[in-house]
Amino acid sequence: MTDDVEAAPTAPAAARHLAPGDVGLVAPRDYTHAADFTFRGGQVLPGFTLRYETYGELNAARDNAIVICHALSGDHHCAGWHSPDDRKPGWWNNLIGPGKAVDTRRFFVVCANVLGGCQGSTGPSSPNPATGRPYGAAFPPVTIPDMVRAQRRLLDHLGVAAVHAVIGGSMGGMLALQFAIEYPRLVRRVLAMATTGRESAQAIAFNEVGRQAIMQDPAWNRGDYAAGEGPRVGLAIARMMAHITYLSDASMDRKFGRRKRRAAEAEASAFDVQFEVEGYLRHQGQSFINRFDANTYLYITRALDQFDLEEAAGSLEAAFAPVEAETLIVGFTSDWLFPPEQNRALAFALLRAGKRASYAELATDLGHDSFLLESEELYALVRGFLDRPATPVP
Amino acid sequence: MEKRTVDMQIIGDWVEPGTRVLDLGCGQGDLLAYLMQTKGVAAVGVDLDFSRIAACVRRGVSAYQGDMTTLMRAFPERHFDRVICSRTVQELAEPKAVILEALRVGRALTVGFVNHGFWKNRMAMLLGGRKVRNEVYTTAWFESRPANPVTIADFEDFCAALGIRVTHRAHLAGNWRDPCPFLPNLLAGYALYDLTRA
Repeated sequence: MTDDVEAAPTAPAAARHLAPGDVGLVAPRDYTHAADFTFRGGQVLPGFTLRYETYGELNAARDNAIVICHALSGDHHCAGWHSPDDRKPGWWNNLIGPGKAVDTRRFFVVCANVLGGCQGSTGPSSPNPATGRPYGAAFPPVTIPDMVRAQRRLLDHLGVAAVHAVIGGSMGGMLALQFAIEYPRLVRRVLAMATTGRESAQAIAFNEVGRQAIMQDPAWNRGDYAAGEGPRVGLAIARMMAHITYLSDASMDRKFGRRKRRAAEAEASAFDVQFEVEGYLRHQGQSFINRFDANTYLYITRALDQFDLEEAAGSLEAAFAPVEAETLIVGFTSDWLFPPEQNRALAFALLRAGKRASYAELATDLGHDSFLLESEELYALVRGFLDRPATPVP
Repeated sequence: MEKRTVDMQIIGDWVEPGTRVLDLGCGQGDLLAYLMQTKGVAAVGVDLDFSRIAACVRRGVSAYQGDMTTLMRAFPERHFDRVICSRTVQELAEPKAVILEALRVGRALTVGFVNHGFWKNRMAMLLGGRKVRNEVYTTAWFESRPANPVTIADFEDFCAALGIRVTHRAHLAGNWRDPCPFLPNLLAGYALYDLTRA
C-alpha cells in the first residue's frame, strides 16, 4: 500500500497525537517465541520474534480482540503516534481509535508485523544465530499460513480466548481469511477488503518485475548484504512500480495531472524529473529504501504469489469449509490490482459453502489503496459489522 | 397493520423452517430478518445499493451488493430451497430471465407484486388518461425507473406459457390485507405466487 493515500487532517503539529478519537502515544512491543517454529515448507526456525502494538484493553472474557493484518509494505504501527514529533500516525489511524469504527474503548486491538517482515519481526534481515550474519536468502520461504500461525502464538501469549474480528486489506485480507480457515473456533468475524483468494497473472507479473529490479541490482548479491546496505536502487524501482499499481489513472490524474516542476527546480538533463508524478515516485522509492528490506520484499511478494486458497483445498468452497466466522468482503470499483471480481468470487464461494458472508462494494476512484479511504460510508459499514454481538450459527 | 406486514406473513407461511432462502432485491433486509427470526432460515439477500447492504450487515443478514443474475449464476442448481422476489419483479429489465434463473437455483420461487390490473389503476388510466399516481405508484413518468407493470392475468399467462407450476397463490384486496377470491385481476391490489419448475 502507499504511504499517503489520503492525507491525514492536519491539526496543530504539537497536539496532533492528543486529538480526540486518537489512541495517542503508543509503543511497540516484542513477543519472542522461544521454541522451534516449523514453516509450511518444512524448514525450522529456532524461535522468532514478532513486533506488535495493542490498543484498548482485553476484557474479562478475553473475547474482545480485534486483529489487524497489514499489507505488503505495512507494519504493526496501525494507529496512534510513536512520538509527538511524528509526521504521521499509524497507517490505519482513521479507522482505529476511541469512538472510531474500530472502537478501542470496546475492543482490544492487536497488530503485528508479519513473520518474514523487516520492521522488528524476525525476517531475512534478522541475524541468523548459526552465522551471526543476517539470514538473507537462507531465511525459510514464508507463506501466508506461516504468518498466521506465528500470530496465533502471539494471541495465545496475550491471553486472547476469542477474536471478535480479524481485519485486513490487500495482503492483510489474505491473512484475515487464512485466520478463519486455520482457526475456525477462534475467529468470530472476518473483514477482508481489496483482497483475493489468489493473485491473477497480472498481479504476479508486477511482483516479478519488482523482484527482478531487486535481484538485478548487483548490490543484492544473492541476498547477502550487511544491514543498512543492499540493492537500494533495485528496491526503490520495485517500490515505484508497485506504487503505481496501488493507485488509479483517475487518482493519479487528480493528484498530479501533467503538472511540471517549476523551471528553477528543473535540472539540466532531459531525463531529470520534469513531471510532478516523477518526483513523487522517486520520493516514494527513496523513502521506502530507508525503511524496508529488499529480501523481505522478495519473500513477501513470493508469499503473495503463492497464496492460492483454491489450489490448497481443491476448490474455494472446500477451502472455506472449516470457516465458522461471519465474513464481510469489501471490494472497490477502481481497484485493478485485486479487482471487485476477485473479491466477489470470495463472497460467492463462502455463500456456496453455506457460510454467513456479505459483499459490499464502494465506488471510489483511488484504486487498490481505496481500503485506506477516509469514508463515512465505509466506517458505518465496519462499525455495523463489528457492533452487533456475534450471532449464533443457525 | 402496515401494508408490508401481510405479504411478509404470507411468505412466512410458505417458507419451511430452517431452509436456505435467497431474497432478490432484499432492501434493508426486513423480510429476511423476519424469516430468520420466525423460521430460522439461512438467509442471503442481494441488492444494488451500498447503504442497504450496510443495513443488512448491521442486523446480521448476509447480503451481496451487485447484480442478482450475476449472483444467481454463481450457484449450482437448487442451491436454495426458496428464492423470493417480493415487489421487485416489476422493476426488472428482464423479468423472464430472472425468473427462470431463480427457478434454477431455487427449488421454489415466491413472487409478490402489485396488481396493475386492480380496478383503481384501470380507472385512473381510463378516466384520467394519465399514468397512475397513488401511494403505490408514487412517481411521475419522468422520475420513475423503467418498470414493467404486471397484472395477475399477465402473470398467470406467463406461468402457463413457460410451464411453470403454481403451488400457491394469494390474492389480496385493495387494502393488501383481506383475501380476494373473486375476480382477482380486477379486485386484487396485491398478488403472491409460489412457483416451481413443472
